[in-house]
Amino acid sequence: MKTTKQDKVGIALFLLPGVALFLAFFIFPVIYVAGVSLTEWTGFTKASFVGIDNYIKIFKDPVFTRSIINNIVWALVAGFIQVPIAALVAILLSFKPKGWKMFRTVYFFPQVISGIALATLWAAIFNAEYGLLNGILELVGLSGLTRNWLGTLESAFPSVLLYWVLYIGYFMVIIFADVQGISEEYYEAAEIDGASRFMQSLYITLPLAKGSIVTCMTLAMINGIRQFEQVYMLTNGGPGNRTSVMVLYLYKEMQAFSYGTSSAAAVVLIFVGSLIILGLNKTLGKETH
Amino acid sequence: MKKFIGIFLTGVLSVSLLAGCGGKGAEKPSGEAGKDGDTPVAEQTDTEQPSGDKVTLKWPCIWSGTDSKADVIREIVDDFNEEYADKYEVIIEENTDYQAYRDGLRTSISAGSAPDIFTFDDDFELYLASGRLVDLTERMDAGWSDNFIEGALEEGTFEDKVFAVPYEMGVTPIMYNKRLLAEAGWDSFPETFDELWELADDLVAAGITPFSQMTGENAWTSMLWYSQIVLAIGGPDVYDNPEDPAFVEAAEVMQKLFEYTTGDAVGAGASVSGGHFLAEETAIFINGPWYIGRLQEDGQNDMYEQVEISPVPLFEGGKGEKGGYVGFVQAYIAAGDTGDPAKTEAQIAFLEYLTEPARVSKLSAHSGALFYIQSDGEADYERLQGQMIEQIEAAPYIQKSFNVISPAAVVNEFPQALSSLVLGEFTPQEFVDSLNSKR
Repeated sequence: MKTTKQDKVGIALFLLPGVALFLAFFIFPVIYVAGVSLTEWTGFTKASFVGIDNYIKIFKDPVFTRSIINNIVWALVAGFIQVPIAALVAILLSFKPKGWKMFRTVYFFPQVISGIALATLWAAIFNAEYGLLNGILELVGLSGLTRNWLGTLESAFPSVLLYWVLYIGYFMVIIFADVQGISEEYYEAAEIDGASRFMQSLYITLPLAKGSIVTCMTLAMINGIRQFEQVYMLTNGGPGNRTSVMVLYLYKEMQAFSYGTSSAAAVVLIFVGSLIILGLNKTLGKETH
Repeated sequence: MKKFIGIFLTGVLSVSLLAGCGGKGAEKPSGEAGKDGDTPVAEQTDTEQPSGDKVTLKWPCIWSGTDSKADVIREIVDDFNEEYADKYEVIIEENTDYQAYRDGLRTSISAGSAPDIFTFDDDFELYLASGRLVDLTERMDAGWSDNFIEGALEEGTFEDKVFAVPYEMGVTPIMYNKRLLAEAGWDSFPETFDELWELADDLVAAGITPFSQMTGENAWTSMLWYSQIVLAIGGPDVYDNPEDPAFVEAAEVMQKLFEYTTGDAVGAGASVSGGHFLAEETAIFINGPWYIGRLQEDGQNDMYEQVEISPVPLFEGGKGEKGGYVGFVQAYIAAGDTGDPAKTEAQIAFLEYLTEPARVSKLSAHSGALFYIQSDGEADYERLQGQMIEQIEAAPYIQKSFNVISPAAVVNEFPQALSSLVLGEFTPQEFVDSLNSKR
C-alpha cells in the first residue's frame, strides 16, 4: 500500500509528541552535560570554559580508571554470568519439576524489594563482627575464611558483585516466558529421535530463546554500567576506592562542587555504555531471529 | 473522515502531553513543591503568596523525624505561626535523609533558587558565592546580634555583612565508658597519649575493644579522631600549612588506633561505629552533644550513666595544649533571597524568633545540642552538656575539625584514603599526599 502525503502528515503528528519528549528529556540533557563537561563550574558561580581539561583530569585520576574497569567487569559478569545462570534456572523450571511455581516466586521475589533495602540487608550479612556469612563459616568449621568482606581490599569488590549476581529473578522470568512459548512439537520430535533433555535444551530451547537471552544480556549489561545504589549503600566505593564505579565517581565529583569533571565522567559513561551495547548487538544481536 | 479524526486526536494528544511538560509549580500539591529543598524558582514564586498579604515561608527542615530537636523546633514554628497568624506562616518540609537534603539544596541553589529558610553545615563561602543569601546585617546591627555569643557571628560574616546565622555548635570531645575503663583497672581517662596506649592495652587484656572507628560513609568519628590528633601534634595553627608534618604523624597514630578497634571498622558506617559504643562493645568514642540523646535512649544497660567526656589527651612533644577542643559550626541557618521585600521581612522575623535565647535554651535542654546563642539566665544543662560547656570554657583554644577546614573534594576522599592507610595500602605520607592531591 502506498503511503500518501496525508498519511505522512498523520505519522509525523503521531510521532511528534514522542520525538519532542525524547529531545527534551534525553538529547537536550546529553548535549547540556557535554557542554558542562567543557567548563569549570561549582554549581554556585559562573561556569568558565576549560576545553578538554576535565577529561584529561579524570583520566589522570586512578580512581576514575578503576571505576571504568569495575563497570566493565560488572557489565561482563552481568551479561555472561548472571544472565546465563538466569537462563539455566529458567530452562530447569520449564521442565516443571515439583514445586517449580514456588521456586519461580522465590527467585523473583527479591525483585520487588528495593535495592537500598537489599543492600542494607547484605551489609549486615557481610559484617565482620556479627554478620551471617562469617557466622555460617564458623559454624561449618571454616573460620579461617572469615573476614571483613566489605572492608578488605581483595574481597570488597567480589563481595559486592557476588550478592548482586544472585538476583537473577527478573531475567529468569523474561527467559522463562520465552521458553514457555516454544512449541511442544519440537520437543516431541526430538524425543522420538531419542534426544535427552540436556540435548533438547541445548539444541532447541537455547536457540529459540536466544532473542530473550540477548535482550536480557543487554539489559543486564546496561544495569552493570549504571550501577550506583548498591555500591553507594554497601561500601561507598571503599575500601580505598576498590569498589568505585563511574556513577558513584561522578556523584562524588558533584558533591565536591566539581560539576565540570562530574559531567565529563557522565559523558564517558554514556560513551562506554554505548560501546558495550553496540558491541553486544554486533556480536550476538544480528544472529537472533 | 477517519484521517481527520486521527489528526485531531494526534493534535489533542500532543497538546496535552506538551502541556504536561510545561506544568507550573502551582499545579503541584503545595505539600510537594520544594520537597527536599529542591524547589525550582518558578515553583517558589508561584506558591509563595497563597492568599492576601500573608507571607508563607517554606523550610526544608533536617530537624524532623526522630531528630532530637524535632519536637521543640515544631513547637517553635507552631508558636511563631500563632503569634504572627495574620502576617506570616512557616511550613516545615520534613527532610530525614541528610545527604538527600544536602544534594537537593545544592541542586536548588545551582538552579538559581534557594529555599526560604534552610540550614547548611559547611562551605559557607560557596553558598555565599551563589548570591542567594539574604543580607541580615541591618537587623543584626539593630540589636539582634546581642542574642549571639561573642565572636560567633564572624562565622557567618563576609566583608562586614552577615549572610548566615551560626546556630548549632559542634564540639566533639572524647566520650568514654567509665564502667569499662574500671574493668580494665582505670578510674580516670588518660591525660597523655602514652597513657592512652596503656589504657588500650589494659582494655584489650580485659577483653574489651578500646575504640569505635569507621571508614564507611564520611568516616565521621575517625575524621574527628584525626582532627583531634592533628591538633594535638601540630597545635591550633596546624591547618595553615597542609604540608605540616603533623598530618603525617597523625596518620601514623590513626594506624595504631585502628589496631585497637573492632573487626568491622573498615567499611563501618556511623550506625555500626556508634552501635558498638552504645552496646558497650567499645569503651571510647568521639561525637558531639547531639549524641547525648542517643546515649540516653539507645545505650544498653543504662550505659548513659557510665559515659563521661574528656578533651583529647596531650600528645607528648606535640604543640597542642592540654584541654584543646575541636569545635565548629554544626549548622548555619540562612534565608534564600527572592528579591521580595515582604518575604525578606518574614524570613528575618522568623530567624530572629528562632534565635531568641529562651527558645534556644529550651531547644538545647531538650536535645542536648549546644548553640551559638546566649543562654537564658540560669540554664539547666544536662550532665554531659554541662561538662562540655565547662571544658569549652576552660579550653586554651577551640579549633575546627579537619572536614570543616578542607575542601569538599578532600572530605570526600578522606574515607577512602583512611581505609587505604589502615589496610596498609598507603603509608602515612601517601595518605596525606592522597588528600592533598584533591586540594
